[in-house]
Amino acid sequence: MRAYRRIISTFRSLFRKEELDRDLDEELASYLELLTAEKVRAGMSLEQARREARLELGGVEQVKEKVRERRVGYLIDTFFHDLRYAARTLRKNVGFTAVAIVILAIGIGASTALFTTIHAVLLRSIPFDEPDRLVVGRKTMDGRVAGPVSRVDYLDYRELTESFEELAALGWFTQSRTMTGGREAQLLRAIFVTWNLFKTLKVDPIVGRSFLLEDEQQGDGNVVLIDHGLWQTRFGGEPGAVGSTIHLDGFAYTIIGVMPRGFRFLFDVDVWHLIDRDVPIDRTRDSHSLLVVGRMKPSVQIEQAVVETGAIAAGLAEAYPETNRGKSLWLTDLHQFMVRGVSLNLQLLMATTALVLLIACANVAGLLLARGERRASEIAMRAALGASRSRLLRQLLTESVVLTCTAGLLGIGVAYLLQDGLLRLLPIGGLGLERPLVNSAALAFTLGVSIASGLLVGVIPALRGTALHPARQLGSARLFSQGAPSRRLQRTYVVMQVAISIALVVGSGTLIRSLAQLSAVDLGFDPRGLLTGEVGIQEDDYATPAERDLFFGSLLEEVQALPGVSSAALISKLPLRDLGTDWPVWPADQPPPTNQASFFAMARWVSPGYFETTGIPLVRGRDISESDGANSYPVIVLSEIAARSLFGESDPVGRTVRVRFSPVDQPFLVIGVVGDIRLNGLRRAPDAAMYMSARQVGGSSMGLIVRTSGDPRRLVSAVDDLVERKDPNVLFARPASMASVVDGWQAGFRVVVTALSLFSTVALILTAVGLYGVLAYHVNQRANEIGIRLAVGASSGQLVRMILGQGWTMVGPGLLLGLLAAYPATLLIRPLLYGIEPLDAPAYIAAIGIIALVTTLAASLPARRATRVNVVDVLAKQ
Amino acid sequence: MADGKTDLLRGTLDMLILKTLSLQPLHGLGVSQRIEQVTGGVFQVKPGSLFPALHRLEQEGWIEGSWGESANNRRAKYYTLTAAGRRRLGEEKRNWAQVVLAITKVLEAT
Repeated sequence: MRAYRRIISTFRSLFRKEELDRDLDEELASYLELLTAEKVRAGMSLEQARREARLELGGVEQVKEKVRERRVGYLIDTFFHDLRYAARTLRKNVGFTAVAIVILAIGIGASTALFTTIHAVLLRSIPFDEPDRLVVGRKTMDGRVAGPVSRVDYLDYRELTESFEELAALGWFTQSRTMTGGREAQLLRAIFVTWNLFKTLKVDPIVGRSFLLEDEQQGDGNVVLIDHGLWQTRFGGEPGAVGSTIHLDGFAYTIIGVMPRGFRFLFDVDVWHLIDRDVPIDRTRDSHSLLVVGRMKPSVQIEQAVVETGAIAAGLAEAYPETNRGKSLWLTDLHQFMVRGVSLNLQLLMATTALVLLIACANVAGLLLARGERRASEIAMRAALGASRSRLLRQLLTESVVLTCTAGLLGIGVAYLLQDGLLRLLPIGGLGLERPLVNSAALAFTLGVSIASGLLVGVIPALRGTALHPARQLGSARLFSQGAPSRRLQRTYVVMQVAISIALVVGSGTLIRSLAQLSAVDLGFDPRGLLTGEVGIQEDDYATPAERDLFFGSLLEEVQALPGVSSAALISKLPLRDLGTDWPVWPADQPPPTNQASFFAMARWVSPGYFETTGIPLVRGRDISESDGANSYPVIVLSEIAARSLFGESDPVGRTVRVRFSPVDQPFLVIGVVGDIRLNGLRRAPDAAMYMSARQVGGSSMGLIVRTSGDPRRLVSAVDDLVERKDPNVLFARPASMASVVDGWQAGFRVVVTALSLFSTVALILTAVGLYGVLAYHVNQRANEIGIRLAVGASSGQLVRMILGQGWTMVGPGLLLGLLAAYPATLLIRPLLYGIEPLDAPAYIAAIGIIALVTTLAASLPARRATRVNVVDVLAKQ
Repeated sequence: MADGKTDLLRGTLDMLILKTLSLQPLHGLGVSQRIEQVTGGVFQVKPGSLFPALHRLEQEGWIEGSWGESANNRRAKYYTLTAAGRRRLGEEKRNWAQVVLAITKVLEAT
């Protein structure tokens, strides 16, 4: 009942405002009349009674205003009034409004763009059913190093665990498989999975069926699930594709189902095939190649799952101490696992935009403050006419919120532009997440930011603007000059802006220097003029090693004969493109160490001429040659790190080593030592490596690497044609210049650094604008004093120094604060730094230099204006 | 400062107005005069606080205003206590009694 009444009266006061006002007028008039009548009755003259009554009532307008403020609908009512008023005032000051809106739109737009990405990548959950119950498992050794899990261990976990509804696994990386049987050979990406991966993810094929436990146990099934895209391109989306046979690397597989459109899990692949008994993956506990994915039971928390898998690991360690001592399973939230590479980057960018927005807000707050001074008499007038302070505050705040919300609207446009340009480049493509869009969450964010920054920029100027004494203001509005507290506030804003800018510039500086270091990093080989690609032959077409030798040998010869090619070679895994595969190696005269005690080196096998082609220096001994074939003694070339780790300072050439997991179960003769190179990434230190002879170790899929004097990309079609002529079922797949491969390793980081530098530049510009504004205002205020100084003989040099000095008194403290803040900030981004320490002197010095330059630029205009003050005018005014 | 005082008085003022109107409907001036008269001039309710209070009480639905004729044939807005207002007055009286009791206890404590 009461609520109902309230609603009614709210509507009444909203829509029948005039009626209510008239009513109130009448009521007050009648009050006056009654009071006058009383006083007349008490013996006063009518005149006197009227005056007394009026005095007693006080200001009619004040009473009315007070009553209005009490009305429920009043807030809404005045809000619309304030809105109209704000729009009117802002329209009247087009210059001010435009500057403020543009400044804020940049800040809000940038934040919105970043927020959308963060929201999509870091906050939104992944597109699987109940994703927070999904975890991934990696191996730990003695509590550190996260790596792949052994299949045999995995099967034990799957058998023993009580915490998981399903525990599945998939390959640590994908394989290239050549599909034949169509018009032409096609290279596919494939990955091994356990039968229950899709059951774990709760995703079903749209056509056909998923894998079954029997498929895995029978081990002769050779069944695959295919990607929606492959189904469309290769099978025209025909349901009949299910049940048909495809040939991958010469093996026949039956298609049992098609995954839904857009489905991907961690890797972009065309084909999922089963790890079954016949697949040579992880036959022993000390060979590791799987990523474990589990769905926890609803009642289980990740902590409990960790405890349980820890217990299982301990049991395995006890049962198989040889292989499992110190080994455990490391569980992480799937979502965290997916965003691990980008979250720091994104957080950095988000923090940066927030700071830029803060600087923009400080600028606009400074503008509002300065304008508040000019509006002092208007405010005083309204106060005198009965507006309470809270009423005035509300009005001023409405104005600044209108300002920021307009900027917010524009900011959405800015966000859209920024996002399309900038975020396309961000390294989020490989995460398996949808591309972010400006959506309702982002719009809500923009609105929130707009209103918050409106209040942020508005509140202090509004408090200042309304804390005035009407009488003094009305009397002296014309002569009123900026009060000391206002000036202090403006200075505080500038100090804050300078501090934030400095921190940003130092941060960008360290990252730019890291990028430079990373670009100049010594790879250990020469990537210029190198073309890389993969060549895979069908196992059943080249059944014997001799046949494979023949194919690859003649291929190399023919490639070398191509115009523009200076040399060519083959390697089992291309550096920086195909990562991983490290095997234990030890001197043959020593007993085999346990896996934990082993020294691991990246295992590769190469054709003769590989080191010469890539430019890896041969330090001692000889290169692998044509004579190191299947029938001669197995040979191996060690990298310097590997040689030193195995044989110390003594000469390894002529010694023998054993390699676990190698297809050749004999000792290898060390024939040479080569330089170390970065095989697995730019930021990683060079890896220990060992190179065997491809003709002795074999393999049907090799990386081809070609050195040319010209542009490597122009060779692609020639090599392509050559390979196809040799065998239509063989492909020159995924060609790329080595330079672009190296570049790919920096691309994501470069975008982050570019974006950050861009934001820092915006921050600097905004800071310069803020500084300029305060100094220009300052010169205006002191025009008289400056004129007199000029009149009594001050030189323009002195004046310029004075204004510059004024600038520096604000910049100085900001500079100091910024430098102090920069250090902890760079510590936070330490994982992104490369080759430099957080306390990087050049970055700090550059930042100081830049801010000095900006200060001088920002101060020079006001300083010039100071020297042009017209002495005669000033003196005439005096 | 001044705000604090009005806030403290406002609750009391509400109660005094409700009590005054519980005896008979009155117009604004009547209410303020009755309060002044009954309290022997201790409380002087100025229009600046009287009218906002009356309008708020009306919005709460505790009193109702309607235009009528005053004793000497002038138009005036008369306020009447509603049923909800009567209940409200009862609550306020009880609260007040508790406050008075509590304060008295404090003052009489030895």
